[in-house]
Amino acid sequence: MAEVPAADTAKTGAPERAEEAGQAEQANQTKQATKRTLKDYRSEVKPTWCPGCGDFGVLAALQRALAERNLDPRDVVIVSGIGCSGRLPEFVNAYGLHVVHGRALPAAQGVKAANPDLTVIAVGGDGDGFAIGGGHVPHAVRRNQDITYIVMDNQVYGLTKGQPSPSTPTGMQALRRSVSMPKMAPYEGVLEGQLNILAMVIVYGCSFVARTFSSQATEMAKTIGLGLDHPGFAFVHAMSPCPTFYNTYDPWKESFLPLPEDWDTGDRIKAIDKAMEEVGEGVFHSGVFFQEQYRTYTDKLQDVYAKAYGDEQATIDALMDQYA
Amino acid sequence: MDRLDLTIRIAGENGEGVLTVGDVLAEALARSGLHIYTFKNLPAEIKGGASMTQVRVQDTPVRSPGDALDILMVWNQENYDIHVGEVKSTGVVIFDPDECEADESLELTQIGVPLQKITKTVIKTMKSKNVLAFGVLTTCLGIPFESAKQMVAESRWGRRKEFLESNINALKQAYIYVDDNDIDLGLRVPVNQRNGHAQLIMTGNDALCMGALAAGCRYYAGYPITPASDVMETLAKAMPRVGGVLMQTEDEIAAITASIGASFTGAKVMTATAGPGLSLMVEALGLATMEEIPLVVVDVMRGGPSTGMPTKTEQSDLNLAIHGAHGEAPRIVIAATNTEDCFYTAVKAFNLAEKYQTPVILLSDQHLSQRAQVMSRPDLSQVEVVERKQPDGNGSVSPQEFDRYEMTEDYISPMPLPGRHGQHYVATGLEHDEHAHIDYSPEAHIRMTEKRHQKIESAVNEPGFVQRYGAEDAQLGLIGWGSSEGPILEALDRTLAKGYKVAALIFKMLHPLPEKEARAFIESIPVVSVVELNASGQFANYLQGRLAVSLQRFNIITGLPFKAGDIEEYIEGVLQYG
Ligand SMILES: Cc1ncc(C[n+]2csc(CCOP(=O)(O)OP(=O)(O)O)c2C)c(N)n1
Ligand code: SF4
Ligand SMILES: [Mg+2]
Repeated sequence: MAEVPAADTAKTGAPERAEEAGQAEQANQTKQATKRTLKDYRSEVKPTWCPGCGDFGVLAALQRALAERNLDPRDVVIVSGIGCSGRLPEFVNAYGLHVVHGRALPAAQGVKAANPDLTVIAVGGDGDGFAIGGGHVPHAVRRNQDITYIVMDNQVYGLTKGQPSPSTPTGMQALRRSVSMPKMAPYEGVLEGQLNILAMVIVYGCSFVARTFSSQATEMAKTIGLGLDHPGFAFVHAMSPCPTFYNTYDPWKESFLPLPEDWDTGDRIKAIDKAMEEVGEGVFHSGVFFQEQYRTYTDKLQDVYAKAYGDEQATIDALMDQYA
Repeated sequence: MDRLDLTIRIAGENGEGVLTVGDVLAEALARSGLHIYTFKNLPAEIKGGASMTQVRVQDTPVRSPGDALDILMVWNQENYDIHVGEVKSTGVVIFDPDECEADESLELTQIGVPLQKITKTVIKTMKSKNVLAFGVLTTCLGIPFESAKQMVAESRWGRRKEFLESNINALKQAYIYVDDNDIDLGLRVPVNQRNGHAQLIMTGNDALCMGALAAGCRYYAGYPITPASDVMETLAKAMPRVGGVLMQTEDEIAAITASIGASFTGAKVMTATAGPGLSLMVEALGLATMEEIPLVVVDVMRGGPSTGMPTKTEQSDLNLAIHGAHGEAPRIVIAATNTEDCFYTAVKAFNLAEKYQTPVILLSDQHLSQRAQVMSRPDLSQVEVVERKQPDGNGSVSPQEFDRYEMTEDYISPMPLPGRHGQHYVATGLEHDEHAHIDYSPEAHIRMTEKRHQKIESAVNEPGFVQRYGAEDAQLGLIGWGSSEGPILEALDRTLAKGYKVAALIFKMLHPLPEKEARAFIESIPVVSVVELNASGQFANYLQGRLAVSLQRFNIITGLPFKAGDIEEYIEGVLQYG
């Protein structure tokens, strides 16, 4: 049994379907015949979010993007950390991996590395992704695996009931709109500076960076879809208000602008400038800020394999020869 | 003829090359059909500080680093002063008379060999000082020049043809000097032709990596940390050769969660770390228990706490490995005992993880992980590899009907894999029901807690994880775990030979605890002592808590491994004086 039954299970190669060959063929035919709709991606579990939560919009947009691509739910894995937004995988009819707070990205990278044929989507909140999990973002970007990362940014910690997050505006003009942030910053508002999440991710070198707003359903589905189609690490900054703890609906409706029509998505420096200017101008742009295709981690691994073994993988016995 | 048993130590300034001399000597002796066991003691610095390497050579498998020294070679005064006290009364000190002054009052054979001067004036390439030192040792061991020449040619010194000639010349100068000065220790270490490919020379970490690959490990994520880094470095080379993926992550939290992600898809995964890293992994270990995801975590224990003593050895992460969790997150904890055992225990770790769908912590330690030993090449056709339980082939059960956490008789449920099975589900660290739906009801929490605990408890029946040795009618019983097995068993043999009635019980599974064996041993022997490399007696405390018994302890915390002699003395002390 030395020859490990390795490459056959779900690993680095194509996963084998569990059905008998005949059944698989049948399944394949039906697969082509069925055109899935948004409903096919709805799970039995009803979302637990507060009425009016922006996350409903993100969920629907994601389901729509999946349906447009007619992806087989068995080939989709949605990975999340902890937060209101982290509950999203439960509500999608697909595989889901709900991990600990802040670690959606590493888990998603493990999923993708072990089975590159899967469609892997990481989702989570601004706190999950840029406070506790902030250290993972640059590295996910560096690896450039084909993963779509949707950050549902409500500029607040929703699940823990309203504390400020790294993307909460400094000085908390928030006071006016937040019912409970005063708990954490009762005198002066938030003392810490606001992270410019979008600019950070562009500076990290991300190959796809876009922003979208949960109240703009069609546009959000389109942007998430572009992220799914992008071969590489795609970052989707999904602004998704929390009406319960920090209701930003009204101001955001006014401050959301599409990127200029002739926007050049190939210029990283301009993209950074745009993202930096927004803060002073008090606006958010929606659309794809930057996109460029780089070789993915999976692509590069093929080069490694070509050098490491060429045509035929080494046996464990051969590996042990070096110790003889 | 007496059994061959020599302990040779070489000591000098770190970075000078003493470690290379030790490595080459160990490999050469091992290739000549002998058994070796190395032991290094390094300063924390990359360069500078006193460092030493030791080779114990026997004609049968070696079980511990050796007690007092038969041969000590020192390159300078500092190292002379540090080590000379450990030489046997019948032992020999080889020192460089230009670099240090020998203490004439000692009743030892002390031989001056001007290593530095010969290198400078005769060989004229300073790099060859290592080879010269090696030659002095081989000639003192009675190894013929021709054999030594072949050893050098087969070593790292022979790899670059352009240096081979000057290296052989350095070797020759050693033989000339020793011959001219009539140095003869009377030793004739028998060197034979290398015995083909049947024997392997490996460190614990090497063996562990090969075991992991043999078990089917095809995904590794890790973050560098002494003394676990070699696991990652070895796999960085080996993993791609078998089509696997190795990822150096940004920290240990990423390493373990990425491993969980990979395992979720069906890959066999491992991450290796030391205490500080294991501390960071604790939260995610609970996640893997909760989601019932197979995962192997290797902890190569070093001296703690905090950054502690990274290059020293200790068995002090046991509490963390067994109990380190919030809530109650049972997991399997096993320990390897020697190099060869690292291979087989790694295989078992994967098999347990897959079978029980659980994280398994495999405890090794700095000394076990980095010493070299000779082991028989594993017969891979005899290595059993276990795969996890998956839904059966027909894809007719819909996800709505399928229970990922079905309550089966053995509490182990079929695990569907993305891309492979149509029974998709959401694995969550929140409490859930059989269907993987979030459920905080008392009933669900009680059922699932029972599932998680019972599943792990049943692993105690796995064979081969606890072994008794020694006298049936023992007066003193020693309990040990993991890598103190070797020195305990060597001390046991020595004291049994002297007529003492002693026995030992060695644990390789620490959680779940093989309680039956532990109780039978403890209740049948008047005095039982737990021997471990930590201050508080972590295993002793754990046994006392579980079994409500009272136990003696023998602990050392020098940062060094047990010597058989330490334990031998302890046994005699207890049995002579009570
Ligand atoms: C290690 C750890 N620390 C703290 C928490 C508590 N916690 C849960 S979610 C959360 C913040 C959630 O905010 P965000 O990520 O923005 O998600 P949202 O709820 O706003 O969608 C915190 C602090 C936790 N679950 N785990
Ligand atoms: S607390 Fe805020 S983020 Fe959470 S569900 Fe309610 S509205 Fe949404
Ligand atoms: Mg938030």
